[in-house]
Amino acid sequence: MAGIQWVNILISIGFLTAVGIALTLLLVIAEKRILNYGDCEIDINNGKKKLTVRGGSSLLSTLSDNGIFIPSACGGRGTCAYCKVSVLAGGGMLGPIERPSLTDDEIARGVRLSCQVKVRSDVAISIPDEIFSVRRFRATVVHKKPLTHDILELRLRLVEPPVIDFTAGQYIQLESREYRGREAVNRAYSMSSIPSDAGHVELIIRRVPEGICTTWIFDILQEGEEISLSGPYGEFRLTDTQAPAIFIAGGSGMAPIWAMLRRMREIKDPRPAWYFFGALTQRDLFFVEELRKLEGELGNFTFIPALSNEPPDTPWEGERGLITDVVRRRVPDLPGREAYLCGSPGMIDACVKTLVDLGVAREHIYFDKFA
Amino acid sequence: MKRSPEESEILGNFTPSKFSGDGFLGTDPRTPQEIIVEDALELERAGIDAAAIGNALGVLFDRALQAMGAMIEIMPGVTARYHESRGVIPSPFRGEGAFEKGEVAVSGLPGFGDVILTRLSIHLIERHGFFQGRGQRYRIEPGAALMLARASVR
Repeated sequence: MAGIQWVNILISIGFLTAVGIALTLLLVIAEKRILNYGDCEIDINNGKKKLTVRGGSSLLSTLSDNGIFIPSACGGRGTCAYCKVSVLAGGGMLGPIERPSLTDDEIARGVRLSCQVKVRSDVAISIPDEIFSVRRFRATVVHKKPLTHDILELRLRLVEPPVIDFTAGQYIQLESREYRGREAVNRAYSMSSIPSDAGHVELIIRRVPEGICTTWIFDILQEGEEISLSGPYGEFRLTDTQAPAIFIAGGSGMAPIWAMLRRMREIKDPRPAWYFFGALTQRDLFFVEELRKLEGELGNFTFIPALSNEPPDTPWEGERGLITDVVRRRVPDLPGREAYLCGSPGMIDACVKTLVDLGVAREHIYFDKFA
Repeated sequence: MKRSPEESEILGNFTPSKFSGDGFLGTDPRTPQEIIVEDALELERAGIDAAAIGNALGVLFDRALQAMGAMIEIMPGVTARYHESRGVIPSPFRGEGAFEKGEVAVSGLPGFGDVILTRLSIHLIERHGFFQGRGQRYRIEPGAALMLARASVR
């Protein structure tokens, strides 16, 4: 009796194994025959570049495999909405994951999340020309220098490729590593270094409470360690005009402004400039001595630090109040003024409103919003 | 209890991920649905719904945001301050888009101490009645949310 039971068990195991193998073979055949999209062509910017690729993967990863790096922070999950590209043909239907991340205008223009578009046939896309110059870099940490109680400067030496070609105001994406059970992520940081120092990248980073990437940078990352990044990205930069320039930023928002001002010093840019540095208290200020020195070096530059939460009984002699109020009091009334802002959406929106009230043309207000 | 693949995927969005290092459940052993139901009972006893609370917290968030980092007093002894942060965080309920990461730190709320408000946490309350799990930094106890909501409409 027991022998018959064993035989039945063995037959069952054998049957299940055979079914499993058959299903696996079926899947392999299906993948090769049914899901074989063959070679597909990706036409970028109306023939400027054409790629012949194996179909079947997402547009984002296919482009990345071919050295074209679209910004992305979620690893292709369709949640960060950073990887938008205009798909002119061959993108297929808009997916339910994409819809909430796109405006009606974007949908009408064919904008898609490249991580959600599968390359199944020939595709035509449009991307900013700057994306072609984005590279992935390996770098080592030269220093982590505290600037305030919650902001540090990260200086990196590029290893491979050894130099980066960028414009002051642009940003990179830093790749963190897994630690304490937290996943590796990509996060965007503006470069505070100047383009002539092409072998290095400097970043000004504020600690985000419980932030995955900033906790890694502040607490885990060591000087001398090797890390990866990609860039440069972004269109925030000084115009070629010599129009009077108003800069407004505080905290880590100073990064692109610091790069622009030092670039102006380097090329002896004569345009009149004012930098409104908004902070809470004196302990939140940094680079003050360097900015004061820059006043002498640039000739036509005024540095205006403003504190919104400084106790009234301290010897602070500079401006006090919200940065918008200080801007309202101190912005000079000159024709053709341009403004450059970097910071949180709330700060940017409030400053744009103030500047427009003061007569600065909206189309001459450029900003890098933390969103 | 067995879960469908869809349920498992949704639940997976509440655990630590690329976007939320600590997830949305903290140390709470309950499922999101259980948390929502228990918190809803507390709100029911107070006679207010989650949508109204979320709406009022949104008003409070905007007040602090407009102060651009300066401390504001929202009721005697209770202050709020906006802290900027770069980037966005998606809702764990898929298809609801992503929300700015900046946060408002409320200090000195009687009986609750410090409370953190974000655009996403307010959305989760307003849309789903989800106050997040206990032990999570962004968990807002319904009683605390109620107190803040009342302060915001004063």
